[in-house]
Amino acid sequence: MIKNPSHPKKGHLKNRECKFTKAGIEYIDYKDTDLLERFMNDQGKILPRRVTGTSAKYQRQLSKAIKRARFLGMLPYVAENLR
Amino acid sequence: MSKNYYELTYIITPVLDEEEFKEVINKVNQVLEDNGAEIDEVDDWGIRKFEFEMDKKNNGYYVNAYFHAPNDLIEKLQRELRIDDRIMRFLTLKYDAKMLRHRELQKKNAVPPVFEEQTKEDS
Repeated sequence: MIKNPSHPKKGHLKNRECKFTKAGIEYIDYKDTDLLERFMNDQGKILPRRVTGTSAKYQRQLSKAIKRARFLGMLPYVAENLR
Repeated sequence: MSKNYYELTYIITPVLDEEEFKEVINKVNQVLEDNGAEIDEVDDWGIRKFEFEMDKKNNGYYVNAYFHAPNDLIEKLQRELRIDDRIMRFLTLKYDAKMLRHRELQKKNAVPPVFEEQTKEDS
């Protein structure tokens, strides 16, 4: 998939640098919804690692944080306008 | 008995008035203190809109608290919160070493920003 230059997802691939490692953050807070929203698409889905370049360690933390925020109604499960 | 650092977030139903919100918060704080917790910080965010409908309501009163507590408190606290139907949802988290270090940074307002244009992370 990655090797195929005409693949539609090819264009999405940006720099493969983990933003959390780079910033030196140790824990991703579920209360920081502005940050978490950047790792979700407009449907409210969590973006995959191959798109954001987040390392596996932080992707796990990130998904946990997003799910906690969703439970408390701070982030959508499914975006309102698309339902 | 070992003491841990915990974080608690709960949502109070928006149908109550200001007095009653205070009463619920006081009650929860009382439960914490009666069971040997040292409250570090209680932060009420006030009415906040939900991203989706929850129990047929569109907003709720959020309260966020941090405290040191012995490990048998959480069970009692959760029982108390579950019984009280003014509380819609709650989430308790036990802090580990990494989260504690993050919390220290948050207190000093020195959490490194993940994105450059992001000037401030809300705690």
